[in-house]
Amino acid sequence: MKVKYLIFGLLAMAISAMAGAQERYPVKWDYKGQSFTEFVSKCEVSFPVRFFYNEEWIRDYKLGDYEGELTVTDILDSLFLGKSMYYYADDHQNIVITKGFAIKKSEKAAAEQEKYIPGNDYTGTSEENKIAGNVVVDIGNPSDKNKPGNVVISGYITNTDTHEAIAGATVFIPRLSAGTISNEYGFYNLTVPRGSYSLRYSFIGMKERVVDINLYGAGELNIEMKSTLVPLKETVISADKNVTLQRFEVGVERINITSFRLMPTAMGESDIIKSILLIPGVQSVGEGSAGFNVRGGSADQNLILLYSAPVYNSSHFFGFFSAVNSDIIKDVTLYKGGIPSRYGGRLSSVLDIIPREGNKREFIGNAGISPITTHVVVEGPIKKDTISYILAGRTTYSNWIFGLIENPALRNSMASFYDINARVAYDIDKKNKADLSAYHSHDAFRFNSDTTYKYENNIVTLRWRHFFSSRFFSGISLNNSSYKYDISSERVPQESFILSHKINSTNLKADLNWYPGSRNEINFGADLSRYEVLPGSFVPKGDSSIVQSDVIARQRALEPALYIEDKFIVTDYLSVNAGLRLSSYFAFGPQSILIYDPSYTKSVSSVIDTLNFGKLDNYKTYAGPEFRLSANLRLNDNSSFKVNYNRTRQYLHLLSNTISISPSDTWKLSDYNLKPQVGDQFAAGYYRMLNKNKIEASAEIYFKEIKNLVDFKGGTDLIMNTNIERDLVNVEGKAYGVEFLLKKPEGRLRWSVGYTYSRTLIKSTSSFSEERINGGKWFPANYDKPHDLILTLNYLYSRRISFSANYTYSSGRPVTYPVASYKIGDIVLTHYSERNEYRLPYYSRLDLSLKLSGNLKSKKIAHPHWIFSLYNALGRENVYSVYFKNEKNVIKGYMLSVFGRPIPSVSFNFDF
Amino acid sequence: MKHKYLIILVIALSIIAGCITEFIPETDEATNLLVVEGVITDQYRTNMIKVSRSLPLGKFVSPKPLKGCQVTITDENNIVYTLKESPTGTYRTDSTRFCGHIGGKYTLKIVTGNLTYVSSPMEMVPVPPVDSLFYEKVVIIEENEYGRPEEGCKIYLNTYDPEQKCLFYRWEFTETWEFRLPFAVPNAVCWITKPSQEIFIRNTSIYDQSRVTKLPLIYITNETDRLKAIYSLLVKQYSMTQDEYNYWEKLQNVSQNVGGLYDVTPMTISSNIRNLNDPDELILGYFSVSAVSEKRLFIKDKFQGVPNFYYNCPGDTVFGGSFVHIEGLGSYVWVIEDNTGSISNPFRVVTYSKECADCTTRGTTTRPSYWIE
Repeated sequence: MKVKYLIFGLLAMAISAMAGAQERYPVKWDYKGQSFTEFVSKCEVSFPVRFFYNEEWIRDYKLGDYEGELTVTDILDSLFLGKSMYYYADDHQNIVITKGFAIKKSEKAAAEQEKYIPGNDYTGTSEENKIAGNVVVDIGNPSDKNKPGNVVISGYITNTDTHEAIAGATVFIPRLSAGTISNEYGFYNLTVPRGSYSLRYSFIGMKERVVDINLYGAGELNIEMKSTLVPLKETVISADKNVTLQRFEVGVERINITSFRLMPTAMGESDIIKSILLIPGVQSVGEGSAGFNVRGGSADQNLILLYSAPVYNSSHFFGFFSAVNSDIIKDVTLYKGGIPSRYGGRLSSVLDIIPREGNKREFIGNAGISPITTHVVVEGPIKKDTISYILAGRTTYSNWIFGLIENPALRNSMASFYDINARVAYDIDKKNKADLSAYHSHDAFRFNSDTTYKYENNIVTLRWRHFFSSRFFSGISLNNSSYKYDISSERVPQESFILSHKINSTNLKADLNWYPGSRNEINFGADLSRYEVLPGSFVPKGDSSIVQSDVIARQRALEPALYIEDKFIVTDYLSVNAGLRLSSYFAFGPQSILIYDPSYTKSVSSVIDTLNFGKLDNYKTYAGPEFRLSANLRLNDNSSFKVNYNRTRQYLHLLSNTISISPSDTWKLSDYNLKPQVGDQFAAGYYRMLNKNKIEASAEIYFKEIKNLVDFKGGTDLIMNTNIERDLVNVEGKAYGVEFLLKKPEGRLRWSVGYTYSRTLIKSTSSFSEERINGGKWFPANYDKPHDLILTLNYLYSRRISFSANYTYSSGRPVTYPVASYKIGDIVLTHYSERNEYRLPYYSRLDLSLKLSGNLKSKKIAHPHWIFSLYNALGRENVYSVYFKNEKNVIKGYMLSVFGRPIPSVSFNFDF
Repeated sequence: MKHKYLIILVIALSIIAGCITEFIPETDEATNLLVVEGVITDQYRTNMIKVSRSLPLGKFVSPKPLKGCQVTITDENNIVYTLKESPTGTYRTDSTRFCGHIGGKYTLKIVTGNLTYVSSPMEMVPVPPVDSLFYEKVVIIEENEYGRPEEGCKIYLNTYDPEQKCLFYRWEFTETWEFRLPFAVPNAVCWITKPSQEIFIRNTSIYDQSRVTKLPLIYITNETDRLKAIYSLLVKQYSMTQDEYNYWEKLQNVSQNVGGLYDVTPMTISSNIRNLNDPDELILGYFSVSAVSEKRLFIKDKFQGVPNFYYNCPGDTVFGGSFVHIEGLGSYVWVIEDNTGSISNPFRVVTYSKECADCTTRGTTTRPSYWIE
């Protein structure tokens, strides 16, 4: 240890809330020029006092010539003035010298109770543990006070009101500049030298708590925190913001529900995906596009997890709304790099949506209404403090829009969606918790009473968490997630059909969390997914239809994986997270597979063999290790440097030849001809706290390589395509970029500035000329937008009024323009440029919103609040897409903007 | 299963919130590509192969023919037919000597300068006759207190191959209609002929029969006078191979399904013709080999509310004189109608725009040979 602490005697001051009168010891001897050590020795001889300090701190200190007759404390006052050295004299004649922080007795009123719960009691209900006033907690046996070395302090952080675990809360010791973040069970674990500390517990939207401790040995400290949805008064936070510095991973962002509730909205609905787009490195192709792109990854490379299960279609209503209702979200973590090894199966990112458990203490609810949607959520205990439920629903009444349209064809159209979330959480005992969750989303739209599109997501998850000890946790979840769509047409009875696509996955996952010793956190587990994909089925509808049933053979596969990772504290300044995930993939029959002559491009004529596999025959296996490595080097108290390497493998592909994800895109499993995508990401970041730790600054740089990406030969219809491999083109991708972020996350005025420069390039690797897009050269991906600037501002004017604004600027996305026209017969046609040779104009948008809350009297039955939003306040006609039409044999170009003018909206919400 | 409906729906949404503006993309100087189009049929008639160059965007598209090519067609027995150029850029088979046959495999070869272009061998697949061509009246505006009803017409096609040999179909149609000026002028009755400008294809391999039911070909709205007198539609039905179907389908995807949020990424569509000297050269168009069948439909029905394009032709009355036809006087033409039937009746002098007096401004006075009364 660099610093040898001599702190032990503080036991005496423990729990003694009364500040005793200081005894004054006048110094009579000539202290001038004495070293501090000499002075201390003389004091300890002359007076009944004991000093506690670190030799290193005072080595060079000499006493000066001070006027008048001074006491010991007067001398210390003069000596330490302006040197960030402090002392604390207790009632037992102990004088403790501290550096960098001062020990002060709290002046807080006894009414403002702080709770201290001793080890092993994380439910926190035992009344005897409540201690009034400022609390100094002893942890461990005081007799161990002189023992050298580090000890572990750990515990659970829960929400006082709802009793839910708080994941992601910051635990920080300012004196040591050391801190950690609670895990998904609310558990935290810190390894520090023995001594006396102030522990600060904070979490966005929660009232900060400070607990003073005397740490003699390993122990537990469980904390309850109160939520402050509307900050009643600003918590003044000094040194504990630099937890970003403590994290292991590069490129991990946590979004808190309260902050994103304040975001401006397009149609009066808070939207999780839209808030993710404000993170540097996350982009979308435009408004009304269902997916998002993380660091040059395609939209299907994002693993969106709800209740630990993948969400296959993340949007409602053509992408204007997220499929997940924000009412049920506790918080959201986006891993755009540094993906922990417990996640797998997608290349670019993981969006882990952590849902709420439901209030375990009282019944509460919230409802809201906006021009297009309405939503309601209710939650409460079934059995107080033991069983809770949460039920949320959302629906739209957007059909009135179609009524406004003069075109009779559109007037007969409709579009609607709804979603339902339900969860029951049961705390069986102190060691066991279980929950059952379900999610259902449904979309339907019909054009001119002719073709009807329907799609839905379904998720059911059963989870059981068992705590073996305070250092060993386990979580087992079994979930089933499915996505399907139906397109049906009844225009002509003879040709009426239903076209369907379905993907169903069942996943069993066991995660184990182990904190052995003081320097390691080991996570390990197993993950098993079973997939079944119905690529397409085209069946007659009604008796008169002569449509021939065509069902493309189902695909079945298993994806087992094992993982282990160790978060290892090497020294105070270096920590390493080393992870390994062994992922494998087994495709099972029944299936018949066409083998193509490798010397020709895949087509009907190059088929050389057909292989038939029976039920449960394993016809193709892929496997490989995925290394996940991060290292965090703390340069000093307010800056750190991190590096990270990630390998990810993806066996599931979304086939889409449209610019953005469309609901009728189909999922496809890897098979004989379609290899898994493999991605490697290298990232490094520098993080620094500025302006007395009020501002977070970071710069991250990344480079990514992706193998076995899928692209298409051209103009192909991918739906009901039995031999899709003939239309696929193998491409590889590379992406690189640098992301800068400056952020003030707390205070009345909060803001952030993010700028990203990034490129995403694709190259076809085939040797056949018809498969070489742009002649095999690198070309920009559809979502390659080099410059991206995001500004956010949040001003909490008062407890009832808050204002926020977001501004986004980005380069236009690449586009393929027509460059020549020609005629075939009498049909005028256009010939297009090389793929993505040109660019759309730049994108710029400003959104504003104002939130007004009703009065905050707690007795009021309902707390109403209004949100007024103005989307695209500048009214810029951002080009979403361009298209070309033949008008009297002249090809004309048109630009389509989705929200080409300011869109005002208002939504009304109330809590009850 | 295109995204067409979705696209229109989203456009509808954007009408409320979004907008569409015209623009001209700034692109590099237009590429000048070889365009080859033509079809060899199973009939003794002139088959044409047109060779031209593509045009830059934003200009009126009229072919830029390429003259002086040596164009030949080779069949599966290596018999070579040479095509003659007439007019420039159009190369014709001799209608008495050349006719494709079912099962034959034909290869097109074009030599221009020192470059040689060759198609892949294309097989001729049989085609059944068009089963039926029929129409349905559509009430566009129902009769109400403000006026008479307005009707339109939708024309459909049924076809069926009992032998199930033709699985991929392509159709072209030609519309011809008669129209009359309201006055007995020399050029009072004319005919207009217009070819189809869309791609009509159908893949019946997904059905258990090679049957196409109620394929919508054209919708005649209340904005045209096609249905005023007699209307006729000639449909040509072509057989295709799967390869050719794929070509047309891609063409259809990139040319028609545009303008929405879910645009298909436009792509270069590969032709079945290659440059032997430079296999990477991009060639536009396709060499089609198809059996063909035809069917013609006449519509003589009366439709309500067909617009009268000539109601805005005002008249005046004078006496005396004989038949004269004077052009001039600004943009107007004076026509004096000679009402020779009765001498005592007044002569009517009318002032018309040229469209009111001469139907050849829109059509031709040549009566089609197949026309009926």
